[in-house]
Formats: sequence, C-alpha cells, structure tokens
Amino acid sequence: MKPRPWRGRRRVFRFPTVILFLAPFLILVIAFFFVPALLNIVLAFTNMDSSLEWNFVGLQNYRLLFSDPQARQIAINTLVYVLCTLAINVGFGLILGLLTTYFVPENAGLLFRAIWMLPRMTPSVVYALLWLWVLDPTEYGLLNMVAKALTGAKPTFWTMQHPMGVVILVNGMVGASFGMIIFSAAIKSISKDYIMAAQVDGASHLGIVRSIILPLLRWPLMFVTIWQTLSLLASYEYILLVTNGGPFFKSEVWSLYAYHEAFAHRFYGYGAAIAMILVIVALIVTMIMLRVFGFKRLMELMG
Amino acid sequence: MKGERKRRVYRAPSSRQRLLGMLGRALPYVFLTLFSLPIISMYLWLFFSSFSRKVMFGFIPQEWTLHNWRFLWSPIQMGGAAHLSIWKATGNTLLFAGVVMLIVVFTATLSGFALSRFRFRGREELMRLSILLHAFPGVTLLIATFYVLYYLKLLNSIWGVAIARAALEIPWSTWIIKGFFDNIPWDIEWSAYVDGCNRFQAWYKVILPLLRPGIAAIAIFSFLAGWNDFIYPYTFIFTKENQTLSMLIKALIGEFRFTDYGLLASVSLFYILPVLVFFFFTQKGLMRVTVGGMKGGR
Amino acid sequence: MASIKLEHLTKRFGKVVAVNDLNLEVRDGEFIALLGPSGCGKTTTLLMISGIYKPTEGNIYFDDVLVNEVAPKDRYVGLVFQSYALYPHMSVYNNIAFPLRLAKVPKKEIDRRVREVAKLTKIEDLLDRMPGQLSGGQQQRVALCRALVKEPEILLLDEPLSNLDARLRIETRAEIKRLQREVGITTILVTHDQVEAMTMAERVAVMHAGVLQQYGPPDELYDRPRNLFVASFIGDPPMNLVPVKFEKTDGTGRLVAQGFSLRLSEELTRLLSETGEEEFTLGIRPEDVALSQEETAEGFPGEVFLTEPLGGGTLVHFKFGETPFRVLAPKDLKIEIGDRFWIVPKQEKLHLFTADGLSVREKGHAEQG
Repeated sequence: MKPRPWRGRRRVFRFPTVILFLAPFLILVIAFFFVPALLNIVLAFTNMDSSLEWNFVGLQNYRLLFSDPQARQIAINTLVYVLCTLAINVGFGLILGLLTTYFVPENAGLLFRAIWMLPRMTPSVVYALLWLWVLDPTEYGLLNMVAKALTGAKPTFWTMQHPMGVVILVNGMVGASFGMIIFSAAIKSISKDYIMAAQVDGASHLGIVRSIILPLLRWPLMFVTIWQTLSLLASYEYILLVTNGGPFFKSEVWSLYAYHEAFAHRFYGYGAAIAMILVIVALIVTMIMLRVFGFKRLMELMG
Repeated sequence: MKGERKRRVYRAPSSRQRLLGMLGRALPYVFLTLFSLPIISMYLWLFFSSFSRKVMFGFIPQEWTLHNWRFLWSPIQMGGAAHLSIWKATGNTLLFAGVVMLIVVFTATLSGFALSRFRFRGREELMRLSILLHAFPGVTLLIATFYVLYYLKLLNSIWGVAIARAALEIPWSTWIIKGFFDNIPWDIEWSAYVDGCNRFQAWYKVILPLLRPGIAAIAIFSFLAGWNDFIYPYTFIFTKENQTLSMLIKALIGEFRFTDYGLLASVSLFYILPVLVFFFFTQKGLMRVTVGGMKGGR
Repeated sequence: MASIKLEHLTKRFGKVVAVNDLNLEVRDGEFIALLGPSGCGKTTTLLMISGIYKPTEGNIYFDDVLVNEVAPKDRYVGLVFQSYALYPHMSVYNNIAFPLRLAKVPKKEIDRRVREVAKLTKIEDLLDRMPGQLSGGQQQRVALCRALVKEPEILLLDEPLSNLDARLRIETRAEIKRLQREVGITTILVTHDQVEAMTMAERVAVMHAGVLQQYGPPDELYDRPRNLFVASFIGDPPMNLVPVKFEKTDGTGRLVAQGFSLRLSEELTRLLSETGEEEFTLGIRPEDVALSQEETAEGFPGEVFLTEPLGGGTLVHFKFGETPFRVLAPKDLKIEIGDRFWIVPKQEKLHLFTADGLSVREKGHAEQG
C-alpha cells in the first residue's frame, strides 16, 4: 500500500475524541476571549458600576463620551503617542537592526541586541522603577544629573513637565526591540553576494543600505509598522506605572482612560463603552493589514 | 571601450584617508554604545543601589551593605502600614505563575495535537481567529473579564486569576506545539504501533520525547509570563494577603517614591532573578529561535 | 588594463589558512586562470584582489602601486559572481547602470554606455526585464555587462560557467574569450574545471589547499607538470599514476610495480639513479601509451579489464593489483575484455614523482612560468 501523508489520519480520529482534546482550549478561549469580547459590547450600553448591576441605558455612555472635553484631549494624546512611539519603534528599531547586523560583526551585534532585549524581558513594575529613578525630580535622578553635567541645568520634574515625552520614551525603549529583531532577521537573510557586488560597483556603506538593503526590507517594514500600531493603540501598562496618565490627563491615552474609568472610578459600563471605540479602530487597522498582506503571507510571517 | 583610452592611475590611500577609514569603522560601535548607555546604566544602578547605602553619580556605590536586603528576614515596615512579607508574596507569585504554566502546557499539548493531526471543518477559520485575537485591545478583555471572574466567584483568588491569565497564552502556545506535532512524521508513530506499543505507550515513549523542546519552551515562556505579570493581579486581586511580587513592588513604589531606592532596588532584583537567570542562559539560543532567520550568501 | 602582482599573499580565517604565501603576477592585458578543486583558496584570492577581503599578510600591487588599503570602489575592478548577484529589485538596465550612477556619471552618458555594453553581449532587448525573468545564461551576460560597463582595469570572473548547461558552457567560453581579446582587459578567471582553464587562459595557476602548485601556459602544465597534484588534476582522461620501485641491474634501470615491470631508457635510468631514491610514482597519460600484440622488451603484458568507447578512440582499462591503468587506443583496433596486449609507454613521456610528490624531470620551485 502506498504510504499516505499524515493528513489521511482523519479516519483514525472520531469526532467525539477530538472534542475531548480541544475541550480545554475551547473552554478557555470561549470563557476569556469570546465571552468577554461579546460582554464588552453589551456592557458598553449599560451603566454598570460598583454595584455590578446591569441597567441598559442605550447610547447614554456615548453621548457622555462625545460631550466630554477630556475625551478630545485624550484622543489627541493617543494619536500623538501612537505616531511618535511608532516612529521610534520602527525607525530606531531599523537603525538598531542595521547597526547590529550590517555594521558590526556577529558577536558584537549579539551583545547589543541582548542589551536591547532587557527592557522587554523585565517585568513592567521593575522597568517602571528604573525609569522612575531616571526621571527622579531631585538632583539624583539620572536625567537630571546628565542635564546638569551637560548644561548645568537645574533639576526638572520630568513627569510633570513633559509627560508625553516621558511616556513616548518609556514605551519606545521597549518597543524598539521588536523591530530590531524582525529587521535583524531580514537583513541577515539577504545574500552576502548582493552586498559584495554593490561594494565592487562602488557603493559606500550608506549607499548599500539605501540601494540594496532598504528596498529588500519593504515587507518587514510594513509588517512592523502595522503590528506596532495595533500594539501601541492597546498599550497602557507602562503609562499607568510611570505617569498614570497625569498630570491631569496630559499623558492619558484612550486605553488607559478606559481602564481608569472602569477600575479606578468603577464605572464599568462607561469604561466598556470607551474600550469599544478602541476595538473599532483596531479592527479597521487589522482589516487594512489583512488587505495589504493577504492572509497567507501573514501566516508565513508569523509562523 | 576598445582602442586607446586613458589609463587610470592607482594611488595608495594617504594616511589621512586611512585615519578616516578607521574612524568610520569605529563609528557604529560608538553609536551603539551611546544608544545603549541608558539601558546599561539603568540596570547597573539596579544592581548597585541594592547593595549600597549611598550612591554617587547615580550608581557608583559608596558603601557596600546588605541592609537593603533586610526584607528577606524582617517585615517591610515603612512609612505607615506594614507590607506583606516577601516570602508570602513570592509564594503567591509562584502559585500564580505555576498555575499559568500548568494550564498552558496541558491545554496547548492537547489542542496542538488535535489541530495538527485532525482535519476538521473550521480549522482555517480557527487560525484566522487567532490573528484577530491579537488585534483585540487588552483593556476590553480586562473589563469584561472582571465581570466573568466575578460571576465565577474567582475574583481575588490567585489561581482563578491565573486561569484567566493562562487563557491569553493559549493561542500562541497551541500554535507552537502544533508546529512541533507537524514535524513528527506519522510513520514514527506507526513504527511504534508496529513495534508493539499501544496508544498510550506510543505517546509516552516516542512522541513525548520528540515534543520535549517545544513543551519546555512554552512552559518556560508561560511561567515567566505569569511571574512577570502585573496588570491581571493588580486589577483582580484586592487583599494584601494575596498580593504577588509585582503588586508588592507597585505598593512600595507608591509609598517610597522619594525615599528608599535601596530597598526598592533589592526587592526588584530579588523579583527579577528568575528572569535574569533564564536570560543569561538562553540568550544566544533565544535569539535564534525568535529570529528564525536563515543566513544567505555563498 | 592593469598589471597585478601578488606578493606573499596569505589569508587566514581564525585557524584556517585559506591562502598560503601566494606569489603571482599577471601581465597587463593578460587572461589567466586560477584553477583548483573547491576550497583551494582561489575564490578567496579573487575577493582579496577585488578588495572585499583584506589580506592577513602580504601585498597586492596594481601597476606596481600597493593597493592593500584601497577600497573596492577605487580599485576599478569588475567582478562577476558565481551566483551573478543581480539586484533582484532592479531591472536589467538599472543593474547595469548601478555602478555608473554611483560614480555620478551624467544620465546621457550612462544610457550610451549601458546600451553599448549590452550590444557587446547581445542583450539589448532584455534591458527592461527583471532578473527573475531571465535564464541562467542571460543573467550571466547581465552580470558581465555590469562588470564591464564601468570600464574597469581588471576583470574578475568567479566560476562564470559552472551554473550553465553543457552546450551553453561551450558557447559562452568562446564568447568570453573573444570579448576579452576585443576589449584587451586584464582578466582572472577562477574555475575548478580544468578544460575551461586550459582552453580560455594564456597562463594557468593551479592551486591546492591554499598553495600555488604551478603557474604557466596550459601546454607547460600539461606536458611538464611539476608535481603529482598538477599531473593528476590536469588532463582528461586523467594521467595514470602507479607506485613503483626503481631497480638497477647491470646498468639497466627497471621500474617494478605490483603486476608489471618496465625497462627504462638510459636517460631515465641516469636521472633516477641521481636522486638516490627507490620509491617513485610513475605517471603516464593514456594517449602516450601504445598497445602491441607482439611481445616487446619495451613494454609489459596486461589483460583488458574494461573498454570505454569514446567516439574518437577507445579507453582501455587494465588493472595491476588495485591500481587501474588506462590506455587510449585508436578507434579501429578491435579490443575485447580479456584480450592480452603488450603495453608500451613512450619513454620520453614518462613522468616520475618522488615520495614527496615532486617531478624528477622538472626540478625547481612552483613559481611564475
């Protein structure tokens, strides 16, 4: 009998058996992904608060949201935050990728990439603590010490005076490593022959980067940009830990606003409503991503 | 191109050109070191301030001391209420991370197997869904999960919240295990049957060993995910008794922001110990696994 | 058209010595080949000449100027890679124009030169295609164009024919040779195919394990190999190599091998006695051996073990102990397996190598021819 590929094992498994194997997966995914997703939609139209009672109030939450002056500021903050951090994550990630794969030999590259992975692998509270020291408003904070050494400036209360800048830097330092990894892999997979041919053709290092490497990085660049956009829209943990959205909402972003309303003020319904806006935006971005890449290619990239 | 044309004159590079060349080669290192200085100084500070009384220039230690590590043997008492004992918090964190890991390994192994070996309707859709799940903003899940946990009476319970947290790791870990299963050709399994194994023996003696690296990977990653997690414990656990280390540190930061960095640093160092250990032992292998890029060239 | 001189050139990668103390010179406008098996250091040498690798030791001179520190782009070399390395995201036109654009040549001039060189290699109608749409042979010609368009002083070719099929290979060989003669550019060809090297180059440098074995015109390598390696590498069908013992009885020298014994001429007897050694390796090319049906003192008997009709002749295989021995017999001679013949090698074509592989006839260092 000719050997059949493993896909032919279909008949070995009977339907009920499969369900048994998939049961834990399904239970968990349904309970903690699907149900919450649907629940959130429902909650958005209630005014659930600390009493945890369901009272449907229709579009009241949204009316409240759109008349809230705070909301506009927060939306702008979110836009600024995502765009600026994206620039760092993609741009600086690219620079790091190039520096550690093209411009220095493998061992040095490995070392620096390891250093830049540290923030990502550190628990968020500890990472936040480190930044709190850096941003310490007294003269002992690292930033203040550096500022004093360079320009003799007096200590600045960074989280108060430049909250958005702080938040962007904190998230950027962590975010850049994602792009760095993806781009490093892509650059390493470029055949060395092209680089050597370009050297003989007369290209300088920057010329090689511009004419050979960057054109071949188009897909990774697009992928990282869209993926990071989604991640940034949804991120709030570091902001919570470092500035907590302050002072007075100056560094509050949309997802953090939803969190605050739900868990700090206990307006779960209102929080859910705020979160729903985010879901809609995220879905739109995801649709764009699927359209641009096509599903199959995305699977390849991720797998 | 044929016939006479002026020949090019070769000139050895001048010493000025050679100097510039050397500087040019050093430049990337300069940039990288400059860029990495903040990170390096941050972590050096963490290490040094946990062991010193005073720090000069930010992190050069002045007096070596173990005073900051007193939390290991005495209660953390500062500026008001006493805090949770470090060991209780560690125990809670271990429980949390352990439960996450066990659930993830158990679920991923079972479902990875099923998804790999069984062709059923809706498989493509399920995979498509996993992508969309990543796109879902975490905060939306959080708010609704609060109600789900409340409904299931799992709020404030460590292992209850761990179940919820484990769910987040299920999609990608299933994916990884499925990949491992895909790479085990069916004929190895069939050989085992022919050699006389029953279902379970084949599974245990032949398949499981081949799966070991994959299981090890997801076990470690999910354990670390649970150990490092802040938001889930912070949002869903309320009583001091059930605090995890991440919550404890947050509480300490809240109070001692301007005071005892030494204590904070040492507690943090204590907290990230498993991560550091894992980090140093696997850095090279990790890069290759996550990167997965193939070297081209001659 | 530059002259090249390599002086004590050495390249080490960690502990591995890829090129070991290479001394070579190439005349202005000359076409030479670096020949050797894979891993012998020939490609590494090429990359050092182009400036991509820096020598660990030694010097490279172009027109007697030391160029060790000169960057690839200032060396005016054209390099054709084995993989062609055509930039996949650029059209053929842009691939060829690339070096000119980098040199900031004006647009009109670029166009003129690109089209001129494309005409030279007959790819004018492929200019708008992308590399992925071309066949191997076409890609190779584009790579050649890109190397030639900047009018380099030196042309370097790394195994340019190895990715082509047999027929195309022969055509392209002639093409490259014609091109080089027309343009008159100093050319170095790297290859592992000795037929390629022998037919295309004016001089051939045979390399093995990073060391230069012999450097000279093809016929010199063929007729007067300096050592065992060159003798066995050059020539197709390859030279017969048999371990023998030299014996002298009453002034007559004999070579004794497992399975036969051969009387030596006076000249050879004298040569071998002078070395004072006893163990040698005998080398003789299949076409320098005659077959006789009559017994003769100048030969030795053998039984046919296999025959290979080659079209123009027959390759007759004998076996002495474990050593094969092949003779190229004329086409019309009827030979069957099991036939017995007297094998008569031409004495003046006998090569003898000492225990350390050096030819007894060709003494001296393996250097410039």
